[in-house]
Amino acid sequence: MQNSILILFLVLAGMSALVFTFVYLSSKKAGKDEQGIPNPLKTRFWFLLILFVILGIFASVTIPRSPYFLFADETPVRVIHVSAMQFAFLMSDKAIDPKNPVGEASIELPANKLVEFRVTSLDVNHGFAIYDQSNRLIAQTQAMPGYVNRLRWKFKEPGNYTILCLEYCGMAHQVMRASLTIK
Amino acid sequence: METIKLRKITSLWIITVLFLFIVNIVLGIIMRLNQGEILHEQPATFYAHMTTHGLTQIGIWFVAGMTGINYLMERYLKTSYLANVVAMVLTVTGILMLWTSTYIGNFHAGWTFLYPLPLKIMWAKWATPLFLGSILVMGVGWLTWSVSMMTQILKKYPLTKALAWQHFRKNPTIQTPPFILISMITLIGIITCLLGAVLLLAMYAAEYFSNGAFVNDALLMKNLTYFFGHTIANEMLYLGLAVIYELFPEVGGRPKWKATWYVALAWNCTLVFILTAFFHHLYMDFVQPVGFQIVGQIASYMASLPAAGVTVFSVLVAVYRTSIKWSLTNLLFFIGVAGWVIGGLGAVIDVTITNNFVLHNTLWVPAHFHTYNALGNVLFSLAFFHWFSIQFSEKTDFEKLTKLKLTLLLIGGIGFLLAFYIGGAESMPRRYSNYPAEFPMAAPLAIGAAVFATIYLAAILIFFFQISKRCLNILFSSSSH
Amino acid sequence: MFKHFIFIIIALSFFFTQLAGAQIASTGFEEENNIYEKVYDAKLNLNNGDNRTLTQLCASKPVILALIFTRCSGICNPFLVQLKENLQFKTDTDNFSVLVLSFDPRDTREDMVNLSKSLNLENNKQWLFATTGDIEKLNLSVGFNPVWDSIRSQYDHDALLVGINKEGYITKKLIGIRNKSDLELLIRSVNDVFSPSYRLPNKNRLFSCFNYNPETGKNTPGLGLLFLTLPAVITLLLLLGISYTVRHKRILI
Ligand code: HEM
Ligand SMILES: [Cu+2]
Repeated sequence: MQNSILILFLVLAGMSALVFTFVYLSSKKAGKDEQGIPNPLKTRFWFLLILFVILGIFASVTIPRSPYFLFADETPVRVIHVSAMQFAFLMSDKAIDPKNPVGEASIELPANKLVEFRVTSLDVNHGFAIYDQSNRLIAQTQAMPGYVNRLRWKFKEPGNYTILCLEYCGMAHQVMRASLTIK
Repeated sequence: METIKLRKITSLWIITVLFLFIVNIVLGIIMRLNQGEILHEQPATFYAHMTTHGLTQIGIWFVAGMTGINYLMERYLKTSYLANVVAMVLTVTGILMLWTSTYIGNFHAGWTFLYPLPLKIMWAKWATPLFLGSILVMGVGWLTWSVSMMTQILKKYPLTKALAWQHFRKNPTIQTPPFILISMITLIGIITCLLGAVLLLAMYAAEYFSNGAFVNDALLMKNLTYFFGHTIANEMLYLGLAVIYELFPEVGGRPKWKATWYVALAWNCTLVFILTAFFHHLYMDFVQPVGFQIVGQIASYMASLPAAGVTVFSVLVAVYRTSIKWSLTNLLFFIGVAGWVIGGLGAVIDVTITNNFVLHNTLWVPAHFHTYNALGNVLFSLAFFHWFSIQFSEKTDFEKLTKLKLTLLLIGGIGFLLAFYIGGAESMPRRYSNYPAEFPMAAPLAIGAAVFATIYLAAILIFFFQISKRCLNILFSSSSH
Repeated sequence: MFKHFIFIIIALSFFFTQLAGAQIASTGFEEENNIYEKVYDAKLNLNNGDNRTLTQLCASKPVILALIFTRCSGICNPFLVQLKENLQFKTDTDNFSVLVLSFDPRDTREDMVNLSKSLNLENNKQWLFATTGDIEKLNLSVGFNPVWDSIRSQYDHDALLVGINKEGYITKKLIGIRNKSDLELLIRSVNDVFSPSYRLPNKNRLFSCFNYNPETGKNTPGLGLLFLTLPAVITLLLLLGISYTVRHKRILI
């Protein structure tokens, strides 16, 4: 996913840079009496229309795949309660008591089955981001005090997954982490 | 025409902005070196740099844009010198308060100070109110400036004319200069988001002084924070665009651009989209109703249309196969627009919810916003600074070192930004003082970025010396000049 | 001035509707336990002589399970009365049934029939009354924990509603006497309607941006949202105000 995003970006950026260079050079070479583009209004119209259509297609393809609708009509086999706090993640099969928060030492989840993370925070905003074995970000949600975000996910491959905090939460933000084992 | 007083305060603004910019870049390089394990600072110190760098950058490039439009506004109408001075005094005071809170008080909740982090005190107790106070002081200064400028515009142009609505009819009798239209639209947006900041600070104050009796809603506070933060960061770019509309044709020796129905339409639409696009900062908060998330994506997409279809297209048309006088000013504008477009592409990619799911709060975010700032908005303002500084100079060696400066800017800027983009695509988190072992490439990338940022800094230093020298001359020339 | 007035009225009315809506949600995190676990498949003795198990019952229609005992001198009766009242106005009653189940081994079918009569529900198809021999296992599976108090000769227990979907999974629990909108959330959950988030109980709702209305499944704007539009509204008023005040001084162009 991220690789294709980077390539898409580099291609688009390169194309824009080329257009600007080309336009600049055309001005450098232009004689005194050259009149530029013949019918700018019409070109502008087509340019805008094409852009509009491209963005429209993009929106209608991507919006239905937003994370809010992920696996919405299936029943998860496991629920993991996650309470983030400065600077750790507590995770448990049982709901976590905010007054006496304790998590389990390790969490094991089945592969290729739907699991649901119920993510909240006991203090400030945190992020709950799941990284796969090759340290690629595969899914995330925020941990907000007073609210529960439900992130549903199916892990494809067994192995060790890392959880990192992706919302700045104070001076130990960069070491706030946890892990999951997928069997 | 503008008064000598205005000339002087404009010079003072320019010197201040450039000076603070250099300090800020140094902070940026220090952060990158720390992430590269060359420097070993306390994490809290890193985050204090990050807070300072973030808010100071936003502040200086906002006032840089305001300085530009205030100066050029005098071509059309009288602006208030007093408001300008008030803004100057309060901005400088605010910046000093900010730096005191971060470097003496060790405040480090980030420039977006997401609730309730500033209230979980991990620094000097007084630093939180001082930091929030610094935003209030700057906010009040900028509000004064914006409201005063808006009033002056409305004194000359009735509201509908200032918004160029007469262009929606056939053959309008009165022309609204594009500069006035864009300034007006942008000022409305700025006032709105500054009022949002005031409201946000009021909510903080209510909680801070209630001793626990009143507790805010985290979702509302996050919405308000980005309503302010996102909007101000965007509007300051539009200030730069107003300057382009005014100066780009002029320095190129071409006829002035005129407002047309599509220019009027584009900018009026921008006002609406820009105020609803901030929802994209909350994509990963599933608590936000899905309707708002979709509005966020669509409004963000739509915001790019008028920008691309009108401003960018107009700049390209104005240049394509047209012989114009190229100078440093023009070149900076032109390259800046290209940087803005490329940063915008990075933004459109990130603003797509499915992509945001794996890009949110990775280095992709600083990647795209540094693109349209460091290689976009900064160049717009540098162009204005340069253009302004040579207006009153007897010498004619203005184009000295142009090639060198531009080359350094581009090489340094592109290298520095690429490190961010690659980091983002490699899922490296943003706002990490040190990277965990999972990302072995992160430290080398950070070092590379620091090297390129130093090249960028070299260009800025040349700009600083050349422009400040001329500005100091203006500042200290006798008023009989 | 008039505009300010209208604005204040709107703001105040928002404020008061919010106040009225802010209710006391009694519990905390315990509700979160056992979610998406299978409920124990208890054998039921239903009032109508039906002998299906709990899972079989759910398979035909999702169930909202209320655990009570008939000799209760405390919460059970008001709890059931409240539940009945809350459900009375629902027109759409097809998508779930209510199972009132005794957790007291002393309760007989006769006790349950009497209970249904006293509630005037003996002929209501949606309401089922039952006893079971497997109550301990069932209690364990839903995290229900009544404690016998021999001094008062009463059970100490929570007022618990458990939502069970057609597959027999617990989808949501409510502890304590709750309002209609929480009940609606429960009904939606047993019908497998997914909402990607929810608010924790016991939080101040006054300034929240949105309040989820489970009856419609939509979010209604809260006072917080008004706050969010406040800057835009003030700017608009400011714009009109300035534009009106300076109109005399305008230099014609
Ligand atoms: C070459 C010059 C610059 C350098 C070396 C630099 C460096 C950095 C670095 C290292 C970070 C922290 C990134 C992270 O999250 O890990 C950062 C953040 C940031 N920079 Fe820059 N920057 C530069 C120019 C600018 C400019 C022109 C702006 C103008 C608006 C800007 C605004 C910001 C902001 C708003 C942040 C976010 C702070 C936060 O996350 O709280 N920077 N910069
Ligand atoms: Cu964290």
